[in-house]
Amino acid sequence: MRLFEYQGKEVFHKQGIPIPAGKLAGSVDDVIEVLKKIGLPCVLKSQVLCGGRGKAGLIPFVRTEEEAVIEAERLFTKEQIPRLLVEEAVDIDREIYLSVTVDPVDAKAVIIASAEGGIDIEQLAKNDPDKIVKEPVDMTAGLSPFQVNDLVYRLGLTGDVAKQVKHIMMSLYRIFAVYDAELVEINPLFVTKQGSVIAGDSKLMIDENSMYRQQTYKRTREYYDSDMEFEAAQDGIPYLQFDGDISLMCAGAGLTTTVYDLIHYEGGSVSNYLEFGGPNYRKAIRAMELCLRNKSKVILIVTFGTIARADIMAEGVVDAIKRLNPDRPIITCIRGTNEEEAVRILQEAGLDPVFDTEEAVRKAVAIARGECQA
Amino acid sequence: MSIFIDKDTKVLVQGMTGREGSFWTKHMIDMGTQVIAGVTPGKEGQEVAGRPVYHSVRRAVNDYAIDAAMLFVPPRYTKDAVFEALDGGIRKIVTVADGIPLHEMVEIRAAARSCGAVVVGGNTSGVISPGKAMMGMFPYWIDRVYKPGTIGVMTRSGSLTNEVTSMVVRAGFGVSSLIGIGGDPVPGIRFAEMLPLYETDPETQAVVIIGELGGTMEEEVAEAIVEGVFTKPVVAFLGGRTAPEGKRMGHAGAIVTGGKGTVKEKVIALTDAGALVAERPRFVGDLLKGLLG
Repeated sequence: MRLFEYQGKEVFHKQGIPIPAGKLAGSVDDVIEVLKKIGLPCVLKSQVLCGGRGKAGLIPFVRTEEEAVIEAERLFTKEQIPRLLVEEAVDIDREIYLSVTVDPVDAKAVIIASAEGGIDIEQLAKNDPDKIVKEPVDMTAGLSPFQVNDLVYRLGLTGDVAKQVKHIMMSLYRIFAVYDAELVEINPLFVTKQGSVIAGDSKLMIDENSMYRQQTYKRTREYYDSDMEFEAAQDGIPYLQFDGDISLMCAGAGLTTTVYDLIHYEGGSVSNYLEFGGPNYRKAIRAMELCLRNKSKVILIVTFGTIARADIMAEGVVDAIKRLNPDRPIITCIRGTNEEEAVRILQEAGLDPVFDTEEAVRKAVAIARGECQA
Repeated sequence: MSIFIDKDTKVLVQGMTGREGSFWTKHMIDMGTQVIAGVTPGKEGQEVAGRPVYHSVRRAVNDYAIDAAMLFVPPRYTKDAVFEALDGGIRKIVTVADGIPLHEMVEIRAAARSCGAVVVGGNTSGVISPGKAMMGMFPYWIDRVYKPGTIGVMTRSGSLTNEVTSMVVRAGFGVSSLIGIGGDPVPGIRFAEMLPLYETDPETQAVVIIGELGGTMEEEVAEAIVEGVFTKPVVAFLGGRTAPEGKRMGHAGAIVTGGKGTVKEKVIALTDAGALVAERPRFVGDLLKGLLG
């Protein structure tokens, strides 16, 4: 779960990492009120989860109240941004990059830092890998002060700035550990002209599998890209929204992704990605209901289950058809444990089950194109 | 002989009395696996499929020689269960748990490596050598998938494994040993680390890798081939070629971020190393035919 910038900064503040003075604003009036407290110039930071906010014009720098009103109105109305983080503008001398994540090969945490922050770290890693320093951390032992001491000197930092960065590194690692983070990142970490070190941004991603013990954050609608993704998530159904014309109702992440690929190879397009396998294999009605709310032309069901029994999935599909009376064709390719019984159930219900994934995909693409009927 | 487990591997089942544990214990035994005993705290004295249940791993290994532990333990208790197996001297561990906290999985892998143990999983169906033995949850009775043969299979996926392996069988081959690495971002053991076992396995002629977008496991296989660690033919199928960046396609590990982990990069790495990459599951069978006749 990726947190919003302002949430990450709240965590930073609590754990002793300095952040710019600022406040959340939900309206133009709010923005003006915050300005009066923190003064001008300042930045209006759109609180959205996508990357590249700066390039998209979602973080305007404003010098006057007039400018602030114009920009805030644009962001709230035209860009539909629900909240802005209004922050004091900082006198920047230089920018540093700092993050903590896991290294799946070495089975350790790893601190990644660069004296050249503010940029795309992946690009820097490709073009100039020597400018990135890394420090592996044994997760059982935790991060030791000698490690951060060595790190700041490898970054070429000295004096009071080095001291502040060391403190921030220790705090950042603590956040990583306490919040079950997949990634915690400060990019950029500002060094101001006055010599203080302040987090310019925050990126805190909490591991999904640890959410049960990270109860502070509830997965509300704002964390999802679409209403449908949010709704499906309430039922524990993995769902992604696209804008093509074939609804996928498949089982297994790998198989669903492969069906998604095969549709594209055949020149088709996907309306929605939905998994109803694994723990969801008894949720055919709910899954089909979600598919039907798309403007797709056909629903494609492909499964090859192990624990999810084919006969139960077939029964579920037949039930769902009876209950929902779908207005578009349904192609089934249901295989796995008890597949013979599944075929019988589907045939009895008047369906024409397909047994080969590629054949099912071709059929769905043809129907979507209007070339044939189910 | 086969990889990881064979007919003589003595298996302890942790979480044996649970619904999944007891169900799959019976299937493992039916397939020929030597399940010796089980563990569920508080249930000592009970039996599952005629095998004794113990309170703890220490008590079980005190009575029996055990080679491998099969965990049917919920994700939040998996770290403890793995550590308990390691403490009991067991060096082969399979966990099917889906949802192990990331940091705990890092600790599990680190602990296993420090004592020379192998942990397969989580988020996997397990390990199977068709016709011999299995640890996990495989519908081995579907013979158009789990047919004994000479092709090693390693996979990050479940249903897709059935799809691709059925194409291997349709092309006239069968499976020597299938290892489900699992779909999590930090698996206990990685593709490249299992390759030396396939290299020395006389029953394996070639290896099929079922990968997907995200991570670097496929690139590590390419490296192992280039370095000469693995010299048998490799055919790979990778899901998510057309996946858009920034969307997690199901598995937690299956995401492209910052331009890293794309299938395109993986295909280039594998092809440059001399492996064959199938664009569709069906082509895996065709490519194997071309290689092995």
